[in-house]
Amino acid sequence: MMNPWLRALVYALLICTVILTLTAWSIWFERKFAGRMQSRLGPTFYGPAGLAQPIMDALKLLQKEWLIPETADRWLFILAPPLTVILALGSAAVIPFSATVVAADLDIGVLYLLALGSLMVIPVWVAGWSSNNKYAMLGAMRAVAQGVSYEIPLVLASLVPVILAGSMSLSDIVRYQMEHGWFVAWPPGPGLIAFLFFLPASLAEANRIPFDIPEAESELIAGVTTEYTGMGFGFLYLAEYLHTLIVSAVASALFFGGWDGPFRPGLHWMVLKTLLLFAGIFWVRWSLVRFRSDQLMKLCWRYMVPAGLVLVMSAGLWVFFRGGQP
Amino acid sequence: MAMTQTSPVTAGWADPYLDIEAYDPEADLMVLNLGPQHPSTHGVFRLKLYLDGEIIVKVVPFAGYLHRGVEKLCEKLTMVQLPPIFDKNDYVSPMMNEQSLVMSFEALLGIEVPRRARYLRTILAELQRIASHLLWLGAFAMDLGGALGGGSTLFLYCFRERELILDLFEELTGGRFHYNTHLIGGNRHDVPVGWDPKVYAALDVIEARLVEYEDFLTRNQIYIDRTRGVGVVDAELAMNLGITGPVLRAAGVDHDLRRDAPYHCYDEIDVRVVTATAGDCEARGTVRLGEMRESIRLVRELLPGLPTGPLGARKPIKTPLAEKASKGHAYACVESPRGELGVYTIGGGDNKGASPYRLKIRSPSLHVLSCLPYVLPGQSVSDAVAVLGSLDPIMGEVDR
Amino acid sequence: MNLYLRDSLRSMGVSFRNLFRKPTTIDFPTVRRPRPERFRASFALLHDETGDEACVGCKACERICPSNIITVDLIKRESPVTGKKRSYASDFVLDANACIYCELCVQVCPTDAIVMVKVAEEPEFSRRALVLTMERLYANEKLRPLSYANATKLAAMQAPAVAAKPEGES
Repeated sequence: MMNPWLRALVYALLICTVILTLTAWSIWFERKFAGRMQSRLGPTFYGPAGLAQPIMDALKLLQKEWLIPETADRWLFILAPPLTVILALGSAAVIPFSATVVAADLDIGVLYLLALGSLMVIPVWVAGWSSNNKYAMLGAMRAVAQGVSYEIPLVLASLVPVILAGSMSLSDIVRYQMEHGWFVAWPPGPGLIAFLFFLPASLAEANRIPFDIPEAESELIAGVTTEYTGMGFGFLYLAEYLHTLIVSAVASALFFGGWDGPFRPGLHWMVLKTLLLFAGIFWVRWSLVRFRSDQLMKLCWRYMVPAGLVLVMSAGLWVFFRGGQP
Repeated sequence: MAMTQTSPVTAGWADPYLDIEAYDPEADLMVLNLGPQHPSTHGVFRLKLYLDGEIIVKVVPFAGYLHRGVEKLCEKLTMVQLPPIFDKNDYVSPMMNEQSLVMSFEALLGIEVPRRARYLRTILAELQRIASHLLWLGAFAMDLGGALGGGSTLFLYCFRERELILDLFEELTGGRFHYNTHLIGGNRHDVPVGWDPKVYAALDVIEARLVEYEDFLTRNQIYIDRTRGVGVVDAELAMNLGITGPVLRAAGVDHDLRRDAPYHCYDEIDVRVVTATAGDCEARGTVRLGEMRESIRLVRELLPGLPTGPLGARKPIKTPLAEKASKGHAYACVESPRGELGVYTIGGGDNKGASPYRLKIRSPSLHVLSCLPYVLPGQSVSDAVAVLGSLDPIMGEVDR
Repeated sequence: MNLYLRDSLRSMGVSFRNLFRKPTTIDFPTVRRPRPERFRASFALLHDETGDEACVGCKACERICPSNIITVDLIKRESPVTGKKRSYASDFVLDANACIYCELCVQVCPTDAIVMVKVAEEPEFSRRALVLTMERLYANEKLRPLSYANATKLAAMQAPAVAAKPEGES
């Protein structure tokens, strides 16, 4: 058994590298996918079928001048983008990619994820505040309202697998699903509805369309990210994709059985499910127009929170009538 | 709050340009410039918003960023040289611009346009209306959904269909966007061989795709939430401000120049006018989609019946001084996709009367934009963008 | 709430269907689309049937251009083909930077000398390079495919006596 510190370091580096590379190429995938949906070719110039596009994007962003407005709060301005990336990457620590590949199999895995999700609202707000720009301020206010409100349906929806499996550790939840069937399909009802709540709520946390009011490009120029150029913008952009990737990984672990599969369970199933959900999130993004902020709030507080409470209760009742945990 | 309004209709309205401190000195309002550089202001247009949180309290619009002195240029160039300049007014529907200009000159000079040219002009006008409304739909979706999202998907679909129409124009005139195909007394380019089947094919595709757009956008509950009840322009406000076009028809007023003051060959066909009652953004969208369908029907009806005959009433132009008008004045208007586009000419200018003495453009978008201070207060910033998109202003003709 | 779900799925269905349609865009500049017959992109000066320069330097195009981009200088000299003295253009400059592609210069030419071509000039790094000199304009006659219209054909399309049939050409 390796020195646990060394093991943690190796895993951290491995996960960071793999996930960051995957995120960079997800930019290529999104542009190609979106292009085909919009009846056009995506990037084709750099590399075969445009595969070197993310490298070129990164190089372009790196060589841009990092303009810091004079009236902006300098240190907060510089601090906010790396903070978003750090928090997003931190969530990747508890995700069970397979039975053995997991960086930190915490007993409170789900709680840790939800906590980091709530924390992620703060750098977004700091970015908007420190820009000293009215558009960024509007975007930041909307981000805080949206992020804080949608945590509640997110928590309620994540509670359903926790109640059904009896543990907050993600690996345990996956193992439970391996024995008793994926939560999205069985028990019929609560699992599917919980997934249908989990996905919009996490899209709202990640500020993706249809909930991308904080960075609503047509209204607020670039919202929270208005004043950022160069790599600062690159970090915020990267953090958004990272968060989406993490969300799809978590959703596939919580609801779709993680590394389980009809034959030969393992890492590949997890990767496949994550990528499919990721593509699904892009599909949603490129098909829908966005909500207005007050409609977004109404959706959360008037519909999702009461329904979420009912959902959690029904999950509890299911467990009760089945006679407790196995 | 002494006001100078005397009209009994507008007496009850607050003066939108009144200084804000006059009616609430305690107000702590944020001034946000939906400034000239903005992804959704449909051209360079500045809208100064006074915001209380996210609610708009007062709106002051500033136009003039695209002023190019077109009316002054018209006094220098001769009437023969003007049609290509006029394309650039309402740059999204150039056929209407050219038509209104040459109609005004023809009225000034007393020229009767041959029947084939009038038919062809009608067909081109209706095709241009479809193209313009397609662009509006795409831009509106972008305003609602963002350039990085569902809006841009619809934008690209609309442009894909608009390209079909632009390809038709390219075959006919040689230009995709600015045509210079009208001249005083007729049209310049005649229908090429094999144009008709392409028109029908394009119309079939567009009609089928309109159903898809409705599935994609207008039947979507998110879109309905964003546009129902937002930016209501009622009939009284519209008529008092001189608003025409789809905005007026969405408010319930049944007025369409094609039917009420027919020109070209609209008196020979039956134009069904599409109206709605709500006056909000959704109603304007419905009216424009209905107009697109109506235009498709009109082109299908007109194209087989294109009469034979000459395309021009005068000899082909060989010199800029070909047409001279020493006196007189004339006003001619067309129903452009934005409303009543009119040109008023006073003859007898430079170049021995070959240039107009004065040319005034009555642009529909200017009147439409003047309703913003009355419509926007009370709504949020997102609504401002949606309203501006649904009004479909084109800054080229607002500022000229 | 199920309204949102149902409508979102419908919108997603539309975009999914479009995923399988052939893309409308092409991989420009490796692939280029052919242009229709009448497309107006750049200019060429022509030689007439005898091989002599068709342009007589009458300045009709210079007078009618709304953007004032054409400059023509007239000179009278002996023709290399017929031997007789006739007028020529000693210099013909067309500033393509400011051209609005209205085709009026083509319409007024009495000798069908100036026509438009279907393929545009290549992009350049300086404005001076897009000021078309007489050599370039005469070179475009062979270098680029000519557009359909010249003055005679445009007049035929408009003239009262000629156009008795609705079909045009091309």
